[in-house]
Amino acid sequence: MNKAAIVVGRRLGELIIVFLGVTLLIYLMVFALPGDPIKALGGDRPLTDSVVHALRAKYHLDEPFFEQYLRYLWGLLHGDFGVDFNDESVASQMASRWPVTITLALTAWVIEMIFGVGLGVISALRRGSFADQAILIFTIVIGGIPVFVIGVASQLVFSVRLHWFPVAGIVYGWPKSYILPAVVIAIFGLAAVSRLTRTSMIETLGSDHIRAVRARGLPPARIVGVHAMRSSLIPTATYLATDLGYLMGGTVIIEGIFNIPGVGNLLFQAIRTHEGPTVVGVSTALILIFLVTSVLVDLLHAALDPRVRRR
Amino acid sequence: MRRSVIGLIAIAAATTLVAAGCGPTGTSASAGGSAADTSLVYATGEPDHLTPGRQTVAFDQVMALFAPLTWIDNSNKVTDLAAKSVTTTDNKNWTITLRSGWKFQNGEPVTAQSYVKAWNYEAYGPHAWENSGELAEIVGYTDLNPAKGKPKTTEMSGLKATGTDTFTVELTHPDSQFPMQLTQAQTGFFPMPEAAYKDLAAYDRKPIGNGPYEMTEAWKDNQPFTVQAWKGYQGPKAVTQKVTFKSYTNMDTAYTDVQAGNADVVFLPADKMTSAKGDFGDHLYSFDSPGIDYLGFPLWNKKYSDPRVREAISMSINRQEVNKAIYGGLYTPATALTPPDMAGTQPGICGQYCTFNPTQAKKLLAEAGGFSGEMDLIYPGGDGLDSLYQAYANQIRQNLGIAKVVAKPSADWASYYATLTNSTVAGPHFGHWGALYTSQQNTLRSLFTTAGGCYFCTGKYHNDDVDKLMAKADSATTQSEANTYYTQVQKRVLQDFPVVPTFFDRYSYVTSTKVTKLPSIEGSPVISQIKVS
Repeated sequence: MNKAAIVVGRRLGELIIVFLGVTLLIYLMVFALPGDPIKALGGDRPLTDSVVHALRAKYHLDEPFFEQYLRYLWGLLHGDFGVDFNDESVASQMASRWPVTITLALTAWVIEMIFGVGLGVISALRRGSFADQAILIFTIVIGGIPVFVIGVASQLVFSVRLHWFPVAGIVYGWPKSYILPAVVIAIFGLAAVSRLTRTSMIETLGSDHIRAVRARGLPPARIVGVHAMRSSLIPTATYLATDLGYLMGGTVIIEGIFNIPGVGNLLFQAIRTHEGPTVVGVSTALILIFLVTSVLVDLLHAALDPRVRRR
Repeated sequence: MRRSVIGLIAIAAATTLVAAGCGPTGTSASAGGSAADTSLVYATGEPDHLTPGRQTVAFDQVMALFAPLTWIDNSNKVTDLAAKSVTTTDNKNWTITLRSGWKFQNGEPVTAQSYVKAWNYEAYGPHAWENSGELAEIVGYTDLNPAKGKPKTTEMSGLKATGTDTFTVELTHPDSQFPMQLTQAQTGFFPMPEAAYKDLAAYDRKPIGNGPYEMTEAWKDNQPFTVQAWKGYQGPKAVTQKVTFKSYTNMDTAYTDVQAGNADVVFLPADKMTSAKGDFGDHLYSFDSPGIDYLGFPLWNKKYSDPRVREAISMSINRQEVNKAIYGGLYTPATALTPPDMAGTQPGICGQYCTFNPTQAKKLLAEAGGFSGEMDLIYPGGDGLDSLYQAYANQIRQNLGIAKVVAKPSADWASYYATLTNSTVAGPHFGHWGALYTSQQNTLRSLFTTAGGCYFCTGKYHNDDVDKLMAKADSATTQSEANTYYTQVQKRVLQDFPVVPTFFDRYSYVTSTKVTKLPSIEGSPVISQIKVS
């Protein structure tokens, strides 16, 4: 327990350092992007010089980099995430978008978990059979198709032709609006999750303690479902936990294709328009989530595997 | 009039969709529609602002909520709408009289003061309202926009309310096209009610207009909002009672949503142009527009300073073939400096230099001393222009025999734009001008005069003859007289050949089967007149 506290404390310290470094770095990168975001605001119709100057002053873009960055940090300390070029508060945009992305990512994650583990277990139990081969080929092929191809194709089939799901947007809420994009996202983790599950399941099934319970005459379903599952899921759980962090930020393309107003979409737009506060706000949050999940993974790992705890 | 290359954001409100008869599981849009159902879902990008003086991408929304002083139709005839008359004796001092009895949607009467105050507020430099440039010709505008420091006054001296219904506008120079500038797409000339100034941020979310529709709810980020036909509107009544503006980040998704019947009208994204006919058949509409595509040049660069080089490049591009391959034949190869829907344009004025002729092109290039080194075609990345510029590059490479012609995208719009404004662009580059009113003045002045605002878009081209001819057109007493001068301007500019006109844009739209009529002006649908079954 003491050790765990130290791990957590050290990780928290790291978080603060990473936070400062990341905000500085990202702010610097946005600052260094070529082009003047204000001049580009008018599209192909130029804004007048006085409008450009006034807007630049308004968003402090006429100040040197460090002044801008410190102003931003100072704002953050007061809970002010800044505004975008439409005068919208970044904080309120994130507040409305994070739940959407989290819902989407969690849905995808659960689908990935259920089907990945399920397929993996089937493969392991029928090692070398036709089903095993079919699952291997299916997960690899489908995971190898570019995400936008699957996204657009699924829209055409399930939304335009069959009308099972809406094409885009989140009007119909969970689950209807989220299932199709979530499945498309989940498809990419399927291969890894099912492979991992398969390998460690096979290993576990051949281990002593499983042979022991088998010898005791427990029903096969119980052997697999309870005894084998618990120890064979450690690598899968680790992978899935890391993947959750990745899913939060990795949905940009899907959010675009399905017109889902999540943070990925927000980040993409903000990078295109060079909106420093938005880019830094969203990506810092993403990185923090990633770091937090990795801390959780370590703790989870320790909880699941006594060997890790002892080390 | 549309920033066709810039996309934006989005989602949707269940209530409006259900009202529109487009249940998520419905077989198609037409299945749920009843006879009295006159609601429409209009797919667009996310607005930036809804205040007329500020919006740069929300034309559709703002034009539905407000009425302009004058109205232009497809034959370029200007009629008075909110104005009773717009008169002048010298093209410099204009008197605008408003129709009586017009009101804002909150009941406030529309008075001369509604215009004067709104225009002054918009023109005031420190407010940084994006459309302020539309008012730049009014005397006193420069006082509100000094090169340095704070303006000393808040009002333009050239703008005066002389009665409740009448105000006068003094321009810095005669401008025969002023009534055209007051037409519907120049939203910077719209009025605002007194109520707006109490909370401009709230007004931006729920503007109160004088037009065919009123807001029923405030616009929230990335959420559709519905406007309803306003009973008090004094102009032509809206045909469709309810319009929901639904915004999308990815216009290809909007296209698919129209295919599925969840939205009714969408501007056709460029990469769908080749498939739209097959997907939509009769529900693909294509209109002449005030937009033109061209290649600009770094005229200061020795490689491109000889007009014959630019003419050779122009003649080496097979516009027909590019049109077929990239735009599914929906665009029109450019044969002039302004598109044909602009008053008095003479298509074909560009003559042989806009006609594909590889033999002649090679000859011209040889006369100019050939071309050495690499030719980079620069265009903004991420806007779906890649295949177009690769096609141009191929054509130039093959037909001019230049070994290395490379299509080079910039990182994004801002960085492309910066290479223009600071004159560092490396080669022939993407150019587009979408005019906001269909006078040749808008395009010619913007692109080919230094005062026009976009002179850096054409390699900082400048010619005194052009400036003089433009001034003559400005002083013309009739439109046809002005048009004669514009023709002369085009001839003069084409002698120098600073740009290669490539295509007259045609704005295309696809609709759901529910839409039976899609009337358009200046290439864009007139939302209040769209008919649905």
